[in-house]
Amino acid sequence: MKTLFSSYRVWAYLAFAIVILALPLIGDEFWLNRVAKYLCYGMLGAAVALTWGYAGILNLGQGLFFGIGAYAMAMSLKLKSYTSMQQGSETPVPDFMLWNAEPGAPTDLCCITPGSWLWIPFQSQWVGLIVAVVLPAVFAYIMGRIIFGQRISGVFVSIITLALVLLTRLIVTDAQPLTNGFNGLTDLGWFTVFGVELDPYSKVTYMVVAVALIIVLALTRLLVATRAGTILQATRDSDTRALYLGYDVPAYQSFFFAVSAGISGLAGMLYVIVAEFASPSFLELSFSVTMVVWAAVGGRGSILGACIGAILINMLEARVSETESLVEAWKLIIGFVFVIVVIYLPKGLSGLAHDLMSKLQSAPKLSPVQKEEAHQ
Amino acid sequence: MFDVLFIGLSLSSILLLVALGLAVTYGAMGIINMAHGEMVMLGAYVSVLANIWLGANLLVAIPIAFVVTALIGLVIERLVVRRLYGRLLDTLLATWGIAIILQQAIRLEFGLSFFGIHVKGLGSGLQNVPVPQALQGTVSILGQDLNAYRIFIVAMTLVLAVATWAVMYRTSLGMKVRAIIRNPGMAAACGIDVKRTNAITFALGSGLAGVAGVLMAGFKTVAPDMGATMVVDGFMVVVTGGVGSLFGTIAASGLLGEFNALVAMVSNDIIGRAAVFAVVICVILIKPAGLFTFKGR
Repeated sequence: MKTLFSSYRVWAYLAFAIVILALPLIGDEFWLNRVAKYLCYGMLGAAVALTWGYAGILNLGQGLFFGIGAYAMAMSLKLKSYTSMQQGSETPVPDFMLWNAEPGAPTDLCCITPGSWLWIPFQSQWVGLIVAVVLPAVFAYIMGRIIFGQRISGVFVSIITLALVLLTRLIVTDAQPLTNGFNGLTDLGWFTVFGVELDPYSKVTYMVVAVALIIVLALTRLLVATRAGTILQATRDSDTRALYLGYDVPAYQSFFFAVSAGISGLAGMLYVIVAEFASPSFLELSFSVTMVVWAAVGGRGSILGACIGAILINMLEARVSETESLVEAWKLIIGFVFVIVVIYLPKGLSGLAHDLMSKLQSAPKLSPVQKEEAHQ
Repeated sequence: MFDVLFIGLSLSSILLLVALGLAVTYGAMGIINMAHGEMVMLGAYVSVLANIWLGANLLVAIPIAFVVTALIGLVIERLVVRRLYGRLLDTLLATWGIAIILQQAIRLEFGLSFFGIHVKGLGSGLQNVPVPQALQGTVSILGQDLNAYRIFIVAMTLVLAVATWAVMYRTSLGMKVRAIIRNPGMAAACGIDVKRTNAITFALGSGLAGVAGVLMAGFKTVAPDMGATMVVDGFMVVVTGGVGSLFGTIAASGLLGEFNALVAMVSNDIIGRAAVFAVVICVILIKPAGLFTFKGR
């Protein structure tokens, strides 16, 4: 029974992997581009489930890490864009910097606008890639060390993360000469791997995203099954008790917080490769809460469940949004679904599936005594 | 300098208007009501509708809005919030869902727009409410010309704050609420009907938000998404001031509003708002319980 029980989860992961790898067989490039975006959202859902479901930390600022990842990659790709080579200088300079430059400023990344030197390392796409994953993780780790070190928990963590993401959004919008403000970064170039350009509308790019998602899901699932993952769940259920048992609670919490942030950064980075833009809308509160909705509907207690929840909701939304009059009604439906899920299905769809599976498996395994009891 | 302080005062009063209701519901019930901003929005729409359909001006709309939003609050408490006591983070999520529902209800004109029926004053467009004649123009205080309506808002905020204080500290309901803040289990053991009191508290907080909405309709364009950012501001104030402390909420709104105005004066509005967020983060990090808290046992 024990082996059966654990195997259906393995099967679920395998089935999911096979399905998303098989999609290029049935869809065209435009549809695949869309699905690739949803896979990035799925990765985000998994990141939310990791902190919320396994660590009990409701991060209302997950968009911050997604945004850092997205902007880091977008800066690199912006410098690779043909528009950046048309500004009359030897090295690439983003077009919007020229529009924001003081008259007479040299057309060079070093000093065209205040702070534009920050862009210099991003001339290499690999710097963009590494920064997109490492910066969110490092930032989250430091943040976690401070927050959890002060033994701040529950809703206060949510409010701090929420304030942080809104604070960052304001700064990004205000720093127009550096980030193009409200408009975000558009007209991006393509990421190149070993001489192959990742055209967003190609099967290759889709496969890159799909494989990345599968690897992330597998590693995250293995990570939470380790001893550290078990201790993390202990801190979720009672952090005082875990502390008195001698575990360094803030260290575990910060570590998983950082992992989740790194995954979100990776998701943001891949999203930019697929969607070809980065904008401050990633840093809006509604986006961060929407991620939590995905995870809640899919099941906060399951990495795969939250991921599938994110993908399904977005697919549904895209389908519904094709009908003009239903766009507003869809939001209404999402509102209702959310209230109902929170009240009646706190474990989400994966919780439902889990209950179903354990019922199916336990039904024929009743001992004779139990069978008699069932008959009475 | 005086004009900057006045801008700060008027920012503070708006913060306090939103935060008062939240201080009551969050402090007493531990409910994070993300739909609070939408209650403000509904209050604003009540004044729009009262103006169009009844010809009533802003002042008349205040009591109507209080009753309407309090009733809606009561319904929300019965249907959703009541099932989630003790699940703090879940109330946050469920009320976020309610917030979306309320916004869409106004946008879709309660679903009537599907049938081609349009109600004047509802829908996704922007609405305006005229300010009564007596409150237009400027008033000269200490040689400064100040906007009369802003002064009216500051005065009304003070009145509401005093009224809330009186309810909390001078009535039997307030005594019950304060008992529940300290220890709900013990309050119930002493014979206080916690469920009933919580329902009334939630309605009261929603009603306060409705009144705030009417006052805001006088100087802001009314739109379905106007409440979305307010709830965040409100929470910052309540948390900074200290949960369950009415005085803390008032003091925090004053501090944050003035700070916003001062930073905005030396830089710009965006940085001013950003600075407020930074202060709130620092306060939570240094004093997680808030600036002004009662000593718990």
